[in-house]
Amino acid sequence: MVKLRAAILKEIRQLKSDFLGLIMLFVLPVILVLIITLVQDSAYRIVNENNISVLIGNDDEGGSSQKLIELLDDSKMFIVHHTDVSEAELKDELLAQDMQMALYISPDFSEKLEAKAKSTSDLMMSELGVTETVDNGSTIQSPELDLYYDPVLQDNFTLSIVGILNSYLSMVESELMISSVFAEMEMETPPELMENMKNNQVAINRIPAQINGGKINPNSTQHNVPAWTIFAMFFMVISLGGNIVNERTSGSFQRLKTLPTSFGVVLTSKVVVFVVVALLQLTLIFSLGKFLFPVMGLPTLVLPSNIIGFILISILCSLSAVSFALLIGTYTKSQVQANGIGAVLVIIFAAIGGVWVPLFIMPDYMQTIGSFSPLYWCLEGFYILFLEKGDWMALLPVITFLVIFIFTCQFLTILKLRIEKLI
Amino acid sequence: MSTFESIAITDLKKRYKKSQIDSLKSISFNIPKGSRTGILGPNGAGKSTLISIICGILEPSSGSVKFTKDDGSTFEGNDLKKQIGFVPQEYALYEDLTLMQNIEYFGALYELSKDQIQERAKLLITEFDLLDVGNKKVKGFSGGMKRRVNLILSILHQPSILFLDEPTAGVDVQNKHAIINYLKKLNELGITLIYSSHHLDEAEQLCDNIILLNKGEIVANDTIDQLMNQTESKSLTELFLSLTNG
Repeated sequence: MVKLRAAILKEIRQLKSDFLGLIMLFVLPVILVLIITLVQDSAYRIVNENNISVLIGNDDEGGSSQKLIELLDDSKMFIVHHTDVSEAELKDELLAQDMQMALYISPDFSEKLEAKAKSTSDLMMSELGVTETVDNGSTIQSPELDLYYDPVLQDNFTLSIVGILNSYLSMVESELMISSVFAEMEMETPPELMENMKNNQVAINRIPAQINGGKINPNSTQHNVPAWTIFAMFFMVISLGGNIVNERTSGSFQRLKTLPTSFGVVLTSKVVVFVVVALLQLTLIFSLGKFLFPVMGLPTLVLPSNIIGFILISILCSLSAVSFALLIGTYTKSQVQANGIGAVLVIIFAAIGGVWVPLFIMPDYMQTIGSFSPLYWCLEGFYILFLEKGDWMALLPVITFLVIFIFTCQFLTILKLRIEKLI
Repeated sequence: MSTFESIAITDLKKRYKKSQIDSLKSISFNIPKGSRTGILGPNGAGKSTLISIICGILEPSSGSVKFTKDDGSTFEGNDLKKQIGFVPQEYALYEDLTLMQNIEYFGALYELSKDQIQERAKLLITEFDLLDVGNKKVKGFSGGMKRRVNLILSILHQPSILFLDEPTAGVDVQNKHAIINYLKKLNELGITLIYSSHHLDEAEQLCDNIILLNKGEIVANDTIDQLMNQTESKSLTELFLSLTNG
């Protein structure tokens, strides 16, 4: 125990003396998580909250345009902003006000929509033999709307918006048509009929595939905080990998063989110290998510209810990062090589593991490749805890992969040190 | 309590993996307690391999190394490791730590108490003129200072046998002189020295017995005087060249 304590103290002293290493371990991840979360937050809000800021330029004074705007406003999908600028200036206004979309309603919108509805209802009445045969409406011009959008928005997103607008326009047009039919019959349109039309649409129930009825959807904080914590943990390969290479090449490991101690003490001390470092990284970055992010207007990090699972996944992620660093430090021949190979591998693992871009938006083959990344499994563990309120059964594959990964790395490390006769 | 008596090396062979030749070919000799043995030879003769096998860093392909006690039994395991000190050719120090922190770490691994570590550290850093830099990081030290630290870390636990693999490589004359003088003092206290070097003048100053290796074989094993007489050499260099076909 005295030897282990001395070895741990030595590791801590070495770490404290490595100022740049400490910056890499603690300061850079903090900067990274703040910047990336701020950058990605608006995109996550679009995806998660569906609050689309839309600027409306309405030159129409009729009731149909007002009805359409009311429907957009009531939908809670849009944040409606009104403007008096002309259509020519609307595009510039859209960009100047940092909106995502602008809708221009021309002066003849209501007139044309009402004419179209009347034409359809006249035709229907004629076909039913209630009125005389009328013109089939071929001369009626359909109204048009101009939708301007920020070019960064994806096509499928703008097409979804067009679909929503069409659905609201159909509602307005149907109301007009029914009113026209009742007017033709010189009757008042029953208000309950209109209300019925509005409320009796087919309900589509959206049910997230979550366990135990968990209702938390991912936001920028819930993705970025665990993702960049894991990235920071694995980036300790620069510090620990270099530490191992130095001891291997400086003759320290050889000297240890002549001392009345086992190499296990040295290895354990490194694992203990760097697991604690990884857990400190996690505590620091998660604290930012919980306490600093809300102050900055970012979503607050909601800690998982399964605390034991959270602690276990945190420790397994830390051990995975430490074991990976030991492996790199053992199989490389110099500190430069350890830093280069280690950093590149971590970046590749992060990219394919969904740290930068969530894995679900990648193609199938990339998702398959991604499942070979230890960072993917670490992140998956936190996703299950944070987003799906996962139970132990859901965490089991994650725990299994990480335990296998840790043992494989440790086994290969010891094997190489034995081959080199260092232990 | 039994004390160290001698080292018996018997029929030691070493062939590295992927090598076609033996680095050591049936080496046998004894090192008695209190001797100062120099293992000399040209590059590739097998000096470092031999020292590494004797002090337990390398496994031999065959043969044995026995550290005998005065009661006839042998030292094994950690008991043996407490008897030996090893000064490697590399610095093998933690350069990000201070001199005292290095001493504290190695002292603890040698199972010394805190008081023992402090007491011996004070003595040794004074002896080696490093008192002013005890709390300075080793990476700022000169080559000569690092060599002295290397030696301090190997004798901290007061070993019976000290292995020195090129202990003065790359140091100036003053540091070399200080190290050699200190090694002689250690020997006077009863510590057995086993020393490997290219420096023949240094070996002449320090060693009373020479084992000359060439291509993995012992070509001479005797006192310097005896060897000089046998070969009618006027200097160790002449002796060295004549026995290694230089």
